[in-house]
Amino acid sequence: MATPVLPPPPPAAVDTVVDYFNLPCPIPFEELHREAMMSLKPDLFEGMRFDFTKMLNQKFTLNHSVFMGPTEIPSQSTETIKIPTAHYEFGSTFIDHPRLLLWGRILTDGRLNARVKCDLSENLTFKANAQLTNEPHMSHGMFNFDYKGKDYRSQFQLGNGALLGASYIQSVTQHLSLGGEVFWAGQHRKSGVGYAARYNTDKMVATGQVASTGMVLLSYVQKVSEKVSLASEFMCNYLSRDVTASFGYDYILRQCRLRGKIDSNGCVAAFLEERLNMGLNFILSAELDHRKKDYKFGFGLTVGE
Amino acid sequence: MASQGRRGGVSLPDRPSNSSSVLAKISRSSIVVRGKEAAGDAAFVAKKLLRSTGKAAWIAGTTFLVLVVPLIVEMDREQQLNDLELQQASLLGTPAPK
Repeated sequence: MATPVLPPPPPAAVDTVVDYFNLPCPIPFEELHREAMMSLKPDLFEGMRFDFTKMLNQKFTLNHSVFMGPTEIPSQSTETIKIPTAHYEFGSTFIDHPRLLLWGRILTDGRLNARVKCDLSENLTFKANAQLTNEPHMSHGMFNFDYKGKDYRSQFQLGNGALLGASYIQSVTQHLSLGGEVFWAGQHRKSGVGYAARYNTDKMVATGQVASTGMVLLSYVQKVSEKVSLASEFMCNYLSRDVTASFGYDYILRQCRLRGKIDSNGCVAAFLEERLNMGLNFILSAELDHRKKDYKFGFGLTVGE
Repeated sequence: MASQGRRGGVSLPDRPSNSSSVLAKISRSSIVVRGKEAAGDAAFVAKKLLRSTGKAAWIAGTTFLVLVVPLIVEMDREQQLNDLELQQASLLGTPAPK
């Protein structure tokens, strides 16, 4: 009798056996906490803002934005000092999808932000970031080279002030990816290493990050349903001994997106984006800091997009 | 009160008056003194408790106002929209999507 043909492994076994040569590409190292950030860190503001986006053609977009309201001034005392400000921002975006992105914003107080993202080849991406101000020593520039492999990503960073950094992230199994980073800031004479892990399935994302600066960051996001996700985050700085835990929800409904969070510093925040009409969004932002008695409310309107 | 007033300051030598001495004796007795102290303490604690409860209620209320009220309003709107769609679908006779 001929040797029996090996039966195909049962489907359950297929699920458990990891095909180590066919792992998915992990997400970039700096976007490791992307889901938790999306739910827990909406761009809260205080005052009034108005954004207008005009698409001139398929590739070119103009952006006008007005902001009025108090802005906080960093100070040594515990009391926050706010001064009323108003500025206008003009911006333009050029997208030659998916190879090239040029992005620029200029403010009336003289600040300029610019970004370039360019695919040099199939796997290599070049990114540049610049923040220029008229104050001395406050301008920043940064160049990134990203290499995207089949199941890994690596990045090399070069910034002003002799900042050098490199990071690498690798998929270990279908759901788990591990990464590490090294950085050296020559101007401040600081260097460090960091490690990170991320476990994601289509229902949840859990991440953890440790760095030699003393920072420990753990986050967990649970997608309860298509519309609702709940996020929690634990951040602890081992050296400066401050610990923050926060919990937030993110509701994406048909007419609106609502994000709320509460954290252990006594800070409560909510951010509501309501779609009034096609291309007309109304934004409400609220933030209560019970401990500092600092209450921030803002509203805004976004036209276009 | 009266007995305390009498006790403090220049006090006359105790007259052998019957009723006042009984009152004084009662008010000077350890039970009454301790009761007064307890009442004072209770009032202090109650005041503090009331204040902290009020503070907690304020924080809870404002937190609720910011975190939960918008959620309720938006959920209600979503529900209304769903109902409207369902109604329209049934009116037009087409099966509702999803």
